[in-house]
Amino acid sequence: MNQMKPINASIFNSRKRNNKIGLFLSMTAMTVGMLFLFWILSVLFLKGFAAINWEIFTASTPAPGSEGGGLANAIVGSIMLIGCCTLISTPIGVLAGLYLSEYGNRSKVASITRFVTDIMLSAPSIVIGLFVYALVVAQVRHFSGWAGTIALALIAIPVVVRTTENMLQLVPGSLREAAYALGTPKWKVAFSITLRAAKSGVITGILLALARVSGETAPLLFTALNNQFFSTNMNAPMANLPVVIFQFAMSPYDNWVSLAWGGALLITIAVLGLNILARVVFREKVQG
Amino acid sequence: MRTVFNTNDTQEARVLTDALLDDLSGSNPYIAKNALEIKDLNFYYGSYQGLKNINLDIQERKVTAFIGPSGCGKSTLLRSINRMYDLYPGQRAEGEINFYGENILNPKQDLNLLRSRIGMVFQKPTPFPMSIYENIAFGVRLYERLSKGEMDERVEWALNKAALWGESKDKLNQSGLSLSGGQQQRLCIARGVAVKPSVLLLDEPTSALDPISTGKIEELINELKLDYTIAIVTHNMQQAARVSDFTAYMYLGELVEFGKTDEIFVKPKRKETEDYITGRFG
Amino acid sequence: MPDKHLSSQFDSDLNSLCSKLLEMGGMVESQISNAMHAFTEMDLESCNQVIEREKTVNDFEIDVDLACTEIIARRQPTARDLRLVMAVSKAITNLERAGDEAESVAKRTKRIIEAANNPGINVAEIELSGQMAISLLRRSLDAFARLDAIAAADVIKEDKLIDEEFRSFVRKLIIYMMEDPRIITPALDMLTIAKAIERIGDHAKNIAEFVIYIVKGADIRHLPHAEILRQASE
Repeated sequence: MNQMKPINASIFNSRKRNNKIGLFLSMTAMTVGMLFLFWILSVLFLKGFAAINWEIFTASTPAPGSEGGGLANAIVGSIMLIGCCTLISTPIGVLAGLYLSEYGNRSKVASITRFVTDIMLSAPSIVIGLFVYALVVAQVRHFSGWAGTIALALIAIPVVVRTTENMLQLVPGSLREAAYALGTPKWKVAFSITLRAAKSGVITGILLALARVSGETAPLLFTALNNQFFSTNMNAPMANLPVVIFQFAMSPYDNWVSLAWGGALLITIAVLGLNILARVVFREKVQG
Repeated sequence: MRTVFNTNDTQEARVLTDALLDDLSGSNPYIAKNALEIKDLNFYYGSYQGLKNINLDIQERKVTAFIGPSGCGKSTLLRSINRMYDLYPGQRAEGEINFYGENILNPKQDLNLLRSRIGMVFQKPTPFPMSIYENIAFGVRLYERLSKGEMDERVEWALNKAALWGESKDKLNQSGLSLSGGQQQRLCIARGVAVKPSVLLLDEPTSALDPISTGKIEELINELKLDYTIAIVTHNMQQAARVSDFTAYMYLGELVEFGKTDEIFVKPKRKETEDYITGRFG
Repeated sequence: MPDKHLSSQFDSDLNSLCSKLLEMGGMVESQISNAMHAFTEMDLESCNQVIEREKTVNDFEIDVDLACTEIIARRQPTARDLRLVMAVSKAITNLERAGDEAESVAKRTKRIIEAANNPGINVAEIELSGQMAISLLRRSLDAFARLDAIAAADVIKEDKLIDEEFRSFVRKLIIYMMEDPRIITPALDMLTIAKAIERIGDHAKNIAEFVIYIVKGADIRHLPHAEILRQASE
């Protein structure tokens, strides 16, 4: 007697058929999605590569009508803005996430904090830009790098808070209990044990927040604005890649348009790099 | 205070003198002392009563095992002793638990200090996310200030006590998570022992381990009891029989019978105990 | 055995162990009966039967011992179960020796028959103690089957009666031997037979002691009788 025969052949066959259909539909959906992604990326790479040369990293943005030029000031400006944003948002975000996960838990303050964080996560970035404009720029009556940093931080902090809290929640309670059982005080359990155990997850969250703010244009429009010249003065308007791209892309000058594509490519590569880094960091944790 | 013996027998004189010296130092092996005295302990999870009127003495430097079916309250009892339940709102204990005379259920009791004197090892091995060396040094640093040399010694001592030194001495800087399950559990035991508590609470320490690791840890318990008082919860009756000096049988939150392990397993006083031990659950 | 284990296989192993013991006991009982019949009737046929069946009794001992060892290895019995297995293991030794004694009675009887030198002594004491021994053995096995500690305590007490019969028979034999030295050879055989029966009584007593051990957990070997009765009725 053949032991491999299914009990009910018609049910078995119809399940096989449904499986094939499902598989086909999902592959089709994936292909469609990937198609557009690759289309965008390929146009970006083709147009952007044409603009990439050493000059992009050495020369500042050209004046309207002049030839050549580069994106040096924008690149440096973006790095400074994002760097300062990180320095502000990381401690605030991580500590807030720590509070929500380890201390607040069910208190009223914690619920309100979570609610506000969720709202800010989905707030339109242009609204945040306007807010900082009214609060900072209008008061001192000039644009500045600091204002831009604040706006970016307001976008990054909710992301960090959320991921930190989630990653901390993933740490098993048995690990905390083991630390308490040694007589460890609560704050030390939170910092030296729980946070440490969730370290790679938290770092991943920070990297992802950075990747997000790297491409934000709207908030910078009202805060850091732009600077045609090379400057590292945070108190003054600061050049940055997103706003430069915004300006150059719609201009009639060819070199400006080309530079815009180059800038877009640079941002894309940076964001891609951050995402890959985040994944690598996270995978290292899983392998212990 | 004068104590005078009259004896011509040198052997007897030696024995009496030893006894007197031991008594003066508080650890006379002929007089059993209780490390923990549990009086009228009642425990509540919200409105559900998990422990009913527990009265029990745990002798120092002996192994006391707690057996019983799931839900009988043995883990609850163990966790009351180091007040782990304080971490969770809604859980409360009433009664007295005297640790060398001091009632540790007193609300004024410093919990961190208590837990440094009464350590606990859990069912699931939980090495901290740091190196093996740091795992052990972590607890010690909480309450003692040791030089690097002294800390090195303490780490080696603790790992030796847990029979893990040989397997780990060449990789002290590697993560604790790189060890096997049985080794991780021994690391947790080393961690608990390193802070030199008086009492070690073991909550099903070998349930998650294979027979060889289990055997090694049981051997360890045998050696540890020379210096520490040990209370162990186990659902493996044969383990309780192998490892303990005293056994307590619990059922539905009550202490059914408590006595010397040899008596419980050869001639228990209560029929309920005998039924449980012999496998008559019908 | 009352009260079921969670494992029905364990239950049936223990039951089968006890049945084997009782079966062996029955076999030994009938051996003793036949040996006594052979002696009182001087029947050669019965002697030979007893001597031949002794081998089966020995096989039984080995069989039950193996079963005990297997239960200990597989089940790690505790409390009452442990006491039961330990007691069975020892009781079959007593049964096997009782069987040896029955064979000894048969062999000595056979020797008397073949030498044709039956001195014609009145052997009422031997017959009486023989009946008592068989009864004690039956009652101790009964007490085992019912786990009745009081009945076992009675068996222990009555073994003394057999001892008394034995002593009075020895005194009688000595007088006969002094009067007529020619009967010494068969008389010595009869002495051996009497001693064998006395020992059977002791074995029955031992089995009764084990019954009390199983039921009460008290090891009452070598205790005075008042103490035994007290422990048995607790």
